[in-house]
Amino acid sequence: MFNIERDGSEHRVLSYKDKNCVGCGICTEVCPTDSLRLGPTVPIARGLIEMDLVSVKEDSCAFCGLCSVACPFNALDLTIDDVSVKELDIYPQWDKGSEISDDCIYCGRCYEVCPQDSIIFKRELPDRSELVRGEIDIDDEKCIYCSFCADLCPAGAITVKNVPTASNDVVNNTIEVDVSKCIFCGVCKRICPEKAIREICATCMYNEEIEVPEVTGEVFIVDDTCVSCSWCAEICPKDAITIAKPFEGTLELNEIEADEKICKGDSCHACQDVCPCNAVEIVDGKAVTNLDFCNLCGACVTACPQNIREVSRTAMKLDNIKSKSWSEILDSLLVGK
Amino acid sequence: MAVKIDSEACGHIENCPVQGLCVKICEQGALIEENGDVTIVPEKCDDCDLCIQNCPNQAISKA
Repeated sequence: MFNIERDGSEHRVLSYKDKNCVGCGICTEVCPTDSLRLGPTVPIARGLIEMDLVSVKEDSCAFCGLCSVACPFNALDLTIDDVSVKELDIYPQWDKGSEISDDCIYCGRCYEVCPQDSIIFKRELPDRSELVRGEIDIDDEKCIYCSFCADLCPAGAITVKNVPTASNDVVNNTIEVDVSKCIFCGVCKRICPEKAIREICATCMYNEEIEVPEVTGEVFIVDDTCVSCSWCAEICPKDAITIAKPFEGTLELNEIEADEKICKGDSCHACQDVCPCNAVEIVDGKAVTNLDFCNLCGACVTACPQNIREVSRTAMKLDNIKSKSWSEILDSLLVGK
Repeated sequence: MAVKIDSEACGHIENCPVQGLCVKICEQGALIEENGDVTIVPEKCDDCDLCIQNCPNQAISKA
């Protein structure tokens, strides 16, 4: 993390949040004064070195804000008189983001799969008792506290205490059914050696009348740390999530056998370690990138010691680029421009 | 093919900014620490070049 500032007719501050940085190096590529440096991404990703991914040379930084504009991951932010250039109409804006529709059923699969822990999720399931109907009763007089029922109960609804104590040498036994857990399956009744349990299931009989309660919840994507990998959107069984990625294009492994420039797979896995999207997997000794999950940031390209990974971006969703010189620099991130 | 280490440039663990980053980053065990210095075990090297790329002193190159 750094914060550098310059006072003039305007107060300009460039701040960097390492926690949002993926180590793609786009900022270093676009900086017109060559003031930003990308650190050793692989040792950092492996926890061998503790340092920020990006560092700045304060003396040469022109505080132009191009890095802040080009960073697709909210790691860099230039403010002018305390207003982020990302909020100013005259600066370019990313047309990327995420949306979760009302089709979400709060299954939570997106939350489990997000590689950046950028999804906030909670849900409220109804009580089991709201889904079933029935009656259960245990006759204390007949019960011998054998615990067959409690041990077999699939819902864990029965609690038996059957340890006599010295101070109460007669009996100190109890048996209780938690009706909020009981599903009236009848297992307890069938196993009871003393026929002490009376149980009736009425769920089927009232099937039509029992209203299925709603599962409620809350889910949202924290745009600040989301890296637009699309794992959530791909895994969502209800297609409720839309992710607009920052780039279009492809990423390839260009091995050159003659120069022995070949992927070493498991012995290297540098690409896998730096990938913020969890999009790389080593399959049969080679790194395979699933483009559905890749955001084309290019962090793996700089990390690859064989230099055989090539990202080809055909479009970037950065709109409202009014400056010709900025447009030229930003176009350099794309192929064929 | 393995790698070679330029003895003059190498920090020899003690003066390496990361106290032997090459040893730590090589998962093949081809670079090991021995008597306070880095030793190459050529038969274990897989030529992944991670050590070459990440040596803070640029002391490692192809043999």
